[in-house]
Amino acid sequence: MSKAPERAAALPAVLGAGAARRVDTRGLLLGSGVALALVAIGPLVLPDFMVNNLIRAFLYAAVALTVDVLWGYTGVLTFGQSAFFGIGVYAVGLIFTHLGFGLEYAALAFAAAVVGAVVVALLVGWLAFYHGASPLYASVVTLVLPIVVTQLLYSGGTFTGSSSGLSGFDSFQIELNTWFWIAGAYLVVVTAGTWLFVRSDAGRVLVAIRENEPRCEYLGLDVSRVKTLLLAGSAVVASIAGYMFASVQMVVAPEYAGFVFGTELVIWVALGGRGTLIGPVIGTLLIDVSTAYLSGNLPFLWKLVIGVTFVLVILAAPEGIGPLAGRLLRGGRRDRAAAEAPELRPSAVAAAAAAGAAAALEVRSVRKRFGSLLVLDGIDFTARRGELLSLVGPNGAGKTTLLRCIADGGERSGGDIAVNGRSIERRPPHECVGLGVGRKFQNANIFDALTVAETIRIAHARVDRPSLWSRAAVLDLPQAALRVMQATGLDQQLGARVRHLSHGQKQALELAMVLSLEPRVLLLDEPTAGLTKAERTLIGQILVDLARGHDLCIVLVEHDLDFVREISSRVIVLHQGRIVLDGTVAEVVDSETVRTIYSGVRA
Amino acid sequence: MAQLLDIVTTAAILYAVAAGLLIVFGVMKIINFAHGGFLTVGGYSALIVTRLGWNPWWSLAFALVVGMICGAIVERLVMRPLYARPLDAILATWGLGIVVGQVITLEFGREVQFVQSPVSGAMAILGESYSQYRLILVVLAVALAAALGLVLNGTTLGLRTRAVIMNENLARGLGINSGLVRFATFSIGSGLAALAGALITPLSSVDPNMGVPWLVNAFMLVLVSGMSLLSLALSCLVLGGAQVLVSTYGNPVAGGLTIVVLAALILRFRPQGFARE
Repeated sequence: MSKAPERAAALPAVLGAGAARRVDTRGLLLGSGVALALVAIGPLVLPDFMVNNLIRAFLYAAVALTVDVLWGYTGVLTFGQSAFFGIGVYAVGLIFTHLGFGLEYAALAFAAAVVGAVVVALLVGWLAFYHGASPLYASVVTLVLPIVVTQLLYSGGTFTGSSSGLSGFDSFQIELNTWFWIAGAYLVVVTAGTWLFVRSDAGRVLVAIRENEPRCEYLGLDVSRVKTLLLAGSAVVASIAGYMFASVQMVVAPEYAGFVFGTELVIWVALGGRGTLIGPVIGTLLIDVSTAYLSGNLPFLWKLVIGVTFVLVILAAPEGIGPLAGRLLRGGRRDRAAAEAPELRPSAVAAAAAAGAAAALEVRSVRKRFGSLLVLDGIDFTARRGELLSLVGPNGAGKTTLLRCIADGGERSGGDIAVNGRSIERRPPHECVGLGVGRKFQNANIFDALTVAETIRIAHARVDRPSLWSRAAVLDLPQAALRVMQATGLDQQLGARVRHLSHGQKQALELAMVLSLEPRVLLLDEPTAGLTKAERTLIGQILVDLARGHDLCIVLVEHDLDFVREISSRVIVLHQGRIVLDGTVAEVVDSETVRTIYSGVRA
Repeated sequence: MAQLLDIVTTAAILYAVAAGLLIVFGVMKIINFAHGGFLTVGGYSALIVTRLGWNPWWSLAFALVVGMICGAIVERLVMRPLYARPLDAILATWGLGIVVGQVITLEFGREVQFVQSPVSGAMAILGESYSQYRLILVVLAVALAAALGLVLNGTTLGLRTRAVIMNENLARGLGINSGLVRFATFSIGSGLAALAGALITPLSSVDPNMGVPWLVNAFMLVLVSGMSLLSLALSCLVLGGAQVLVSTYGNPVAGGLTIVVLAALILRFRPQGFARE
């Protein structure tokens, strides 16, 4: 920021952010300290019944946090975290019952809890998060998981204790008060760790996935892998909670792995406030402890009250009771000040010297059919580096479909596509990005809940692995992306939320995002739609510079023939799925064919 | 031979249970997790008929009406704000299921109870002596399928419903009151759930949580079937058949898991399930 004092004046929020970040961490330390102090004095002042209940509630809250990270932050609605809790519970129950208790068996049970949870999570991830899976399908798999686990436990006979579970095994010789401290400390550590994680650069990727998963894939992120790893991590947290739970209670039963417990976790998170951390923790503690007290007197009425409240919250305050209360206390304001933002810096790597002599983009007899409809029929062309190729043609000619086929190997029905001499085969979008393809969508397609800086950071995450616990203070950007940001004033608004940007700024931001991928082949679908004349000229200039100066191959879908004429070095006309003309601007735009196809359009 | 009868009757029962869920999913693109709750409502409607000492056949009509009224109320109060939030609708309807279960528990107690069966005893068929009621269920399920087919293909409401299923925005633009179609669909779907509850109770018993296991199976069958009543029949036969075979030759626990596990795997490798497209 130091190089531009006049900018500093315009950006008080951004400059203040560096300090704000330290305050935040201090808040975390303070909060954790207070929580640990409360945990420390808890057993000294609370009655035994309460101590016992809170130990259970602490461990449940740690599991609820994993539901929150998966659902509230990443958008994966899961009913299955109970199954991972159950894996930890049964690792203890089975090993202590059948092998006996001893430190070596305790360690063995711990290893079994962790490894078991990871293995099952990887299996579930493979099943639920494949490329193209719908969110509903992922939820279905998480619903099936606890059902399968409990049925297996039921059928285990005397080995698993079937429906009555296992009890009467020896466990750690630890007093209840000490367990209170252990479970409380576990909850504080998990909460603080999660706090750091969701605020880190990697944590922002989770929100980006929740907001717009396809865009993440086209930014080169392997979303399936991210989700699977996240599930594995949360499975371990839940399983360790289960391990402690069974060690304290010395009784295990299939219900702890069950689907009903899985839905209860979701209810607690929803009531406490999904997408916040303190909400689900407080929600779980309050509900679980009150349940323990009230279930003696009014068991069914209490469950009815929870059920009714849950329905009302989903209907009227989907963000949950915690955030709702917070908003009311703050007087109705939803958002706090603009978020912190890092400093932009041109990345050190100059545009890598174009390797080899291969053409930037080769399209060989590509076909695409939807059912019986042939949308692309034998498309053939080769584009070189430095070429600015415009695809024109009436609606339904197959232009956008062609771009989609280049950016996603799974799309085309036949033919072959090579980028820099390497075939894209059947690669999913995130691997095509790795080959050098960058795609900008027709409608600005970004992450509304994030800031400009966070968006750019995520676009750069493929090259520059984000940290799991901190935020980088400097953001390295390719020259081209930086130029787009500067030309459109986005570099002055790094802390602004994307949803507050103008339409033109969103278009520019998406272009900068795609350029951050350092693509060799840039696919643009109507980049100037809805822009003002001035903005259009600016984008056009930048594109010409990118093609010439950075040696990019740009493929552009455009309806505005004036714009095409100004910037293109070559034009291809598509009509009814075939190439009807391919040549220079002069050859194509003024030709009779184009006039006929576009009859009525200025030519 | 007995297994063939088991397969056909199991498929018929599954079809009756899943049909209401399917039409709600088809029209609203919403999974109604209160389906299990409405099923339970149907079971207890049958219990009321038994207690009143009426002819047990009345329980079918009574359950259908009670279910439709419950569905109508729920659609107005709960479903309407959630049309744009399908994942939240799953949660809210699951919460409703809890509410229904607790209200029933408060009113009827949590113990298992039995209702009177309209017919009892066995009859000879295909050289076997087989439960008469299960065979009647097959006839009723076929009649139900025929009735739904007739409503969808032979009435104005059916035509409008199909229009909404295919393209709701276009249907609205053509002057179809899609809100009314949704209201009717949800009421009928809930009524069918309760009817199914009344149909299955003579086979077992009623308790406040009887709907949950049925809900999960019905839900998986609907996901595998897509939007069509015909492919629902196919999936009930295939998956229900697999369940019967696994229970007979494998073990009952594996049998209970057959439908959910097979359905999850089918969807993994063929996301459209048994639907054509």
